[in-house]
Amino acid sequence: MGKLVSLWYLLAAVVLTLVWFVVSQLVDLPIIPSPVLVVENLADIFMKYIAIHSLYSLWRIGAGLLLAVAVGLPLGVIMGYFPQTDRFLAPVVYLTYPIPKIALLPILMLLFGVGELSKVFMIFLIIVFQVVVAVRDGIRAIPNETYYPLYSLGASFKDIFFEVLWPASLPKFITAIRVALATAISVLFFTETFGTQYGMGYFIMDAWLRVNYLEMYSGIVVLSLLGLILFTTIDLIERNACHWQYK
Amino acid sequence: MISIENLSVNYKSDSDVYTAISGINLTIPEGGTLAVIGPSGCGKSTLLKAIAGLIPEYEGTIKINGDEVNPKKQTIGFMPQNYGLLPWRTVIDNIRLGMKIKRAPELLDRKVLKKLMRQLGIEGLGHRYPTELSGGQQQRVALARVFALQPDVLLMDEPFSALDAITREEMQDIFLKLWQKNNVSTIFVTHYVEEALYLGQRIAILSASSGNINRIVDNPLFGGKDIRQNPEFFEMSLKLKNSIKKDWNQAWEN
Ligand SMILES: Nc1ncnc2c1ncn2[C@@H]1O[C@H](COP(=O)(O)OP(=O)(O)OP(=O)(O)O)[C@@H](O)[C@H]1O
Ligand SMILES: [Mg+2]
Repeated sequence: MGKLVSLWYLLAAVVLTLVWFVVSQLVDLPIIPSPVLVVENLADIFMKYIAIHSLYSLWRIGAGLLLAVAVGLPLGVIMGYFPQTDRFLAPVVYLTYPIPKIALLPILMLLFGVGELSKVFMIFLIIVFQVVVAVRDGIRAIPNETYYPLYSLGASFKDIFFEVLWPASLPKFITAIRVALATAISVLFFTETFGTQYGMGYFIMDAWLRVNYLEMYSGIVVLSLLGLILFTTIDLIERNACHWQYK
Repeated sequence: MISIENLSVNYKSDSDVYTAISGINLTIPEGGTLAVIGPSGCGKSTLLKAIAGLIPEYEGTIKINGDEVNPKKQTIGFMPQNYGLLPWRTVIDNIRLGMKIKRAPELLDRKVLKKLMRQLGIEGLGHRYPTELSGGQQQRVALARVFALQPDVLLMDEPFSALDAITREEMQDIFLKLWQKNNVSTIFVTHYVEEALYLGQRIAILSASSGNINRIVDNPLFGGKDIRQNPEFFEMSLKLKNSIKKDWNQAWEN
């Protein structure tokens, strides 16, 4: 099973590279260099220049994600499990949820500066709403009967949380993170183009301004690998934590 | 021992109050069984939930072994209509759930659990998830869960309704065997007169509209050998059915 999946990833990578190669030969312009050259260049400069940028991007994503889970998960649980709280929290969430978070960037930068904090907070904002709504809906969908055997045994809230609320909302929670993360990465790219000297966004835009297409493409490849690593990590976590769903 | 005096339950919504059951009086002696039978919507599940401590606001008293019902103090084995197994836990974890919540590691004896699972014919299924089981197997797991706890009382809401006729009789026999060994006071809800006669020492017939008990019938056949083959069993179930029909028809006409 695992082998087969990796095989498909490999196949997809080969096909994409082939397409890229063919296009580069056809167009024959420096703006689309051959993948062979890019990979050579990448091998040369990855440890020297790119690694530090990818670590910066990874840290911003990680910090924003962690913060979003730390806030969104409890909020979602409370809103899902106690309908009274949902009644006055739901309007707040629904009024703020549809605002494109990128529109808040100027405000964030005024409040938190152009440095790390506003970038991390931006990612936090993008992910947290999805988490709140997914966890809340996951918990609301639990039929009452599921709780009965636990209540009739005198279960504490802690028991209810670990036996029912957490496992029941986990699949939706993970899906929400997966969806939000894609948006978060693209917004991160944008925010990294100013106010910092580090991050994949900075690296790629900087290479572009220096008209160094080989480095620019190396950066893009690294960024897509970064995404691949994040998404497969989430898949792995899901497979292990939501065993029962794959039966 | 379970004793219920003057029990009433009202469901309150924003606009009105609905009386689901009222003025219920019942006693089940230590180690006895009671079948509850009644038309749909008459409050059978409500009665069971109240005894299980799932309805915090009721009038009257419910006492288990002399103390007011309290899920934290007593051990109540409650089996809801759809078995109440957690889909994200394996069979063995579902069975252990009660002991985990009750913090009763002394009950977690491997050998005892294994024996119970063998008696119920689910010994090889411990690592599976509930969705990978047939209805009858889920039923057995639910039984294992409540019996493993050695509860003070056992409450079952239409435990065997979802099973086909043959599996149902098989499960009734399995239940009876376990019950005889453990001797736990039991109340169960059923739609089947035959089931009530086979498993109930006494049978409480709820009335159709007023939410109280119409009457309680003693069951002289209970515990006899192979009573399902007995002509008296047929006779008695027929008589019971007819009288229940008459009661309920009267209620509808009123
Ligand atoms: N949570 C609730 N809020 C309001 N009314 C309820 C609630 N639960 C049940 N009722 C009402 O109380 C009455 C009794 O319901 P209950 O579930 O006890 O019936 P029942 O005898 O178990 O029926 P069935 O045989 O169909 O399972 C019904 O009229 C039902 O509509
Ligand atoms: Mg019912």
